[in-house]
Amino acid sequence: MKVRFWGVRGSVATPGPAYLRYGGNTTAVEVRTETENRLLIDLGTGVTQLARELMDGEFGRGEGVLPILLTHTHLDHIQGLPFFTPFFVRGNQTRIIGPEPTELSLTETLQNHLNPHYSPLYGLENLAAGVRVETIEDGASVELSGFRVRAAAMPHGGMASLGFRIEADGEALAFIGDVEYPDTGPLSTALELAHGVDLLIHDAMFTDEAYALRRGWGHSPVSDAIAVAESAGAKHLALFHHNPDATDDDVDAIVAWAAKRSRVPVFAASEGPAFSLKALSSKA
Amino acid sequence: MRRDPLDYYAVKVTFWGVRGSYPVPGPSTVKYGGHTSCVEVRTESGACLIIDAGTGLRALGQELALQQQRGEKDSRYDLVLSHVHWDHIQGLPFFEPAYLEGTHITIHGLRVATEELRHVITGITRREFFPVRLEAVPADFDFHEVTPQRPFCIQSFEILPFALNHPFGAVGYRVDADGTSIAYVSDTAPFTDVLHKQHFLPGPEIPTPEDKRALDEMQRSLIEALTGVDTVIYDTHFLPEEYERFPHFGHSSPDHALDMCTGIGVRRLVLYHHAPSHTDDMMDDIADHYADRGKALGLEVITARERMELDVGPNAAREASS
Repeated sequence: MKVRFWGVRGSVATPGPAYLRYGGNTTAVEVRTETENRLLIDLGTGVTQLARELMDGEFGRGEGVLPILLTHTHLDHIQGLPFFTPFFVRGNQTRIIGPEPTELSLTETLQNHLNPHYSPLYGLENLAAGVRVETIEDGASVELSGFRVRAAAMPHGGMASLGFRIEADGEALAFIGDVEYPDTGPLSTALELAHGVDLLIHDAMFTDEAYALRRGWGHSPVSDAIAVAESAGAKHLALFHHNPDATDDDVDAIVAWAAKRSRVPVFAASEGPAFSLKALSSKA
Repeated sequence: MRRDPLDYYAVKVTFWGVRGSYPVPGPSTVKYGGHTSCVEVRTESGACLIIDAGTGLRALGQELALQQQRGEKDSRYDLVLSHVHWDHIQGLPFFEPAYLEGTHITIHGLRVATEELRHVITGITRREFFPVRLEAVPADFDFHEVTPQRPFCIQSFEILPFALNHPFGAVGYRVDADGTSIAYVSDTAPFTDVLHKQHFLPGPEIPTPEDKRALDEMQRSLIEALTGVDTVIYDTHFLPEEYERFPHFGHSSPDHALDMCTGIGVRRLVLYHHAPSHTDDMMDDIADHYADRGKALGLEVITARERMELDVGPNAAREASS
């Protein structure tokens, strides 16, 4: 599998010179198989960049196929939806697969995001490609374009966010992008998702010091990301969902701090070219 | 020593977000900036008005919260909104003064359809969208529904809202203070090809004679409001050739803005709400080209950049008559 980070930032996009190396776009992660099947995780602002690349290929001709896993519907994870141009080319087969957010359904929530007060689109029905919205339950598995995907609900402030285990090409990765574990520590369901994966991409929004002041905000301290990677036997750990106040230098410092403590090789997710999980292993 | 207001620049305008549609991080937007719509207007006496609450509001809020905590600024805030599309409100949940005890925030905006402004604004922090409800933060909120052509006063600002041509409705504002004036005209399409009403436009919709009358009326009241204004900030999202492809998107080109602002005593035009696809290199070309075009028409044309500060000079009309 290949992974490309199009958005790694949490909460809100951070343009500006202090965020150029890791990137300022909110969550969007593309996963590809060796046979070039694609899967997208989340619709943060990063997808606007991905869209440009996709439109140069089969998505520009209305021949693209893209399943999109949605972790949850906080704004930083759906803000790119109305600007994801493949949705506007008839013929593209796109599906959004995510959790039921609250008493409102996933479809109702996305409709609410696009309602005419907030968006000139007025609603999902005006995405010309006709996106399908489906829900996935906590613990369910699904086959998508040659990927085997398992979802598990993670506590995230007042609601749940889905974590995913994704398998293809004989490899596995886990994505747990927005999570705050209870005081008792990482959940067994998180460890199961990450069990033996080649790459764990994990929420590391707060330094441990900052976390002490931000308990209940729904995000992890770096040490929890390390703990999950180590306990689950992950081969590599990518710190993810960088704090919007963390400049490139701050993220460098976090990686250096983590590298000293983690038995699992660790790096910070950054916008940039695709990398293969195999290359990650040969590098380590 | 008392100075005559005409002798000095009394109002400062700071651009905290100049981008349209969505924020654009990355190396190609470092010079002009990638944050969405947010402008601060300050008088020398310290009155402060915030226009639009795009992602640029976050950095402004961090500064204002510091000033408030140091006692350099009172705890009252006035935010006037052109409309409530995401790129104009997305910064609101990240506005730090809202998280300070004693803060009072008044949001001024257009009521469209039957939904109250309060309901629309608090809807952006519904539990599905954001972890902290606006109703739950320490700040008090007030909501003031504005009506086009009905002037109102905030602190020492006199404000005239006027209708703009944008999907589902938007308003621009003329703001007068300390003997000078600015106008904020964003977001709007020109008043020719399409009349934006309250339904989705998949493509250009040919205006009916009745639509044309409504467009003419909108343009007439815009020109009236802009007449004699020192500095006009205008939605110039599109290049002319881009506008030709998307006349139904609700945005203008710099040519449309020049047409509106020429010959009515406007001193300076600021190009604003840049398309997310416009890189710094493209923006440099746009800035140079339209500065020259403006010069030929007797209008100073500058292009908004994030963190740009403008001193707004004496009211052009008063200067002309003196």
